Amino acid sequence: MAYLLIVEDDADFASAVGTILEKQGHAISFETDCGKTIDRIHERRPDLVILDVMFPENDKAGFQAARSIRRTFGELPVILLTAVNQSFPLGFSSKDLDPTWLPAVDFVEKPVDFALLSRKVSDILAHEKGTAGSLS
Amino acid sequence: MREPPDAVSADSALLPPESDESILRRHEKWFCSMRWLAIAALAALGVIGLTAKALVAPLGFHLEPGWPFLVAGVLLVLNAAYLLMARRAERSTRHAMHDRRGLWVQIILDLAAVTVVVHYVGSVATFAPFIYLFHIVMACIFLPYAQSLVVTLAAMGMYLTSLLLEGTGVIAPGSVLDRNAIPQPVQAWHAGAVMFVSGTVWYLASRLANALRQRDKRLSAINRRLVAATEERAGHMLSTTHQLKAPFAAIHANTQLLLGGHCGPLSIEAVAVVEKIAVRCEMLSRGIKAMLQLANLRSAAQDTPSPVPLDVSAVIRACLAGLQPQAAKRGIVFEEELSPAAVKAVQDHAAMIIENVLSNAINYSRDGQRVSVSSRAKPAGGAVVVVRDSGIGIRPEILPRIFDDYFRTTEAAAHNHASTGLGLAIVRQSALAGRIGVRVESAPSLGTVVTLDFPSSPG
Repeated sequence: MAYLLIVEDDADFASAVGTILEKQGHAISFETDCGKTIDRIHERRPDLVILDVMFPENDKAGFQAARSIRRTFGELPVILLTAVNQSFPLGFSSKDLDPTWLPAVDFVEKPVDFALLSRKVSDILAHEKGTAGSLS
Repeated sequence: MREPPDAVSADSALLPPESDESILRRHEKWFCSMRWLAIAALAALGVIGLTAKALVAPLGFHLEPGWPFLVAGVLLVLNAAYLLMARRAERSTRHAMHDRRGLWVQIILDLAAVTVVVHYVGSVATFAPFIYLFHIVMACIFLPYAQSLVVTLAAMGMYLTSLLLEGTGVIAPGSVLDRNAIPQPVQAWHAGAVMFVSGTVWYLASRLANALRQRDKRLSAINRRLVAATEERAGHMLSTTHQLKAPFAAIHANTQLLLGGHCGPLSIEAVAVVEKIAVRCEMLSRGIKAMLQLANLRSAAQDTPSPVPLDVSAVIRACLAGLQPQAAKRGIVFEEELSPAAVKAVQDHAAMIIENVLSNAINYSRDGQRVSVSSRAKPAGGAVVVVRDSGIGIRPEILPRIFDDYFRTTEAAAHNHASTGLGLAIVRQSALAGRIGVRVESAPSLGTVVTLDFPSSPG
């Protein structure tokens, strides 16, 4: 079982995602304020952060949070769960495809395909576990 | 299926107005083309003087080959130099300055060449001085009022100077006409007539050109406002539509929860209701996606992704895989004839074009029909993709409107209720961005053929 942090301003959507991932056996925590992401991670470090991009205060708050996570917590994996991507680049630039500029391990597009999201979460957690195992 | 007779291309769009600099550069190249014709005419005159002097002599012509070859040679060197400078200027950042200076150098040297030609053809014995009128009229068309007057005065100044030099005996008067057969006209009268006609032509042509220029400027200003308004509308549409996407994402997510049994068992009636909600939500999400794609393509503020090397056949295969469930539901079978074809294009744009064209072919086919798709590389680079269906087709009078936003024919709306009417607008916008040719041929009840012409690179 892993601990996942979902940072999403739409509580209804976050709750639906959380329900699915809980059924997968994970512990879930929610945060609706993107600005509090770093504090929440400090409180309890998750195995994976699922992060929205557009927040009411800033269209690119999720991008900024992903960069802050990389700076503060190194390789902590982040999935961007968003309607913003290269096809719909509201505030998205081609630079955002560069992993050193936007440190997200994956994008999952809204409306979300839960089967796809569940598979990606499992793959990333398995990869993280494998990497941690090889290091120890 | 026989070849559908009616066709339309996706090349009409609201384009930004052409800049003065680009208009000037385009005209500069045209001037060079016209000058090649003048050089050819002078060379031909030289050849006649060289080889057929005796033949034209009985007609009263006295043609020396030296001066036509000399003027043609000088113009040839100058024209080559102008073209070289124009090409270099295109690559530099100082276009406008070069174009202005280069244009005036060309005008002055052209007028000097015309003066030499007029002198040798006959500045008082022939109608040669009226050659100046070509330059005066062109100056009126392409240059502002005051500058066209400067060109006219320069032309008349050079002509009067040559007359003065001839009159004072500094240079001997020349003429292609046999001076024994033609009586000497009065120099002052002839010069006056040339000046009067040139002045009148300048006045009329410059007034007319000025009126046209003013109207062109007004139209350009209106067009600029229209382009700005379109961009603003696209920006608003992008933002508003994006905000719409979030609630639908939440509805969609919750219907998935219910249908997946994550919130406990549902009655059969409840499943049927939630399925209806899910279907309508999916339709609306598809519409929102199309609106976002279109708004994004039209928004100048957005960062355009870079073109990357692509195999068009691989893009088609990916689109076919995505559309397979949609086709299978209606028993529609794909016939593929895909050859690898390398192009450079924006991945998303290429995929959006092909996906929309294939999706239309499925949507407007009848159940159980076949949709064929082929790709091939062009010998000179680029690729051609042809998507052919045998569906309901499009009436010829409707064909020119199919790329309009939200346009759906009555037949199309009746055949496919879920259509957004934005598919071909997205195709047009993506195709314009990538310089991809789109040709649609169609005939009612026979079907539609869409041909996509990918350049090797969008340039």
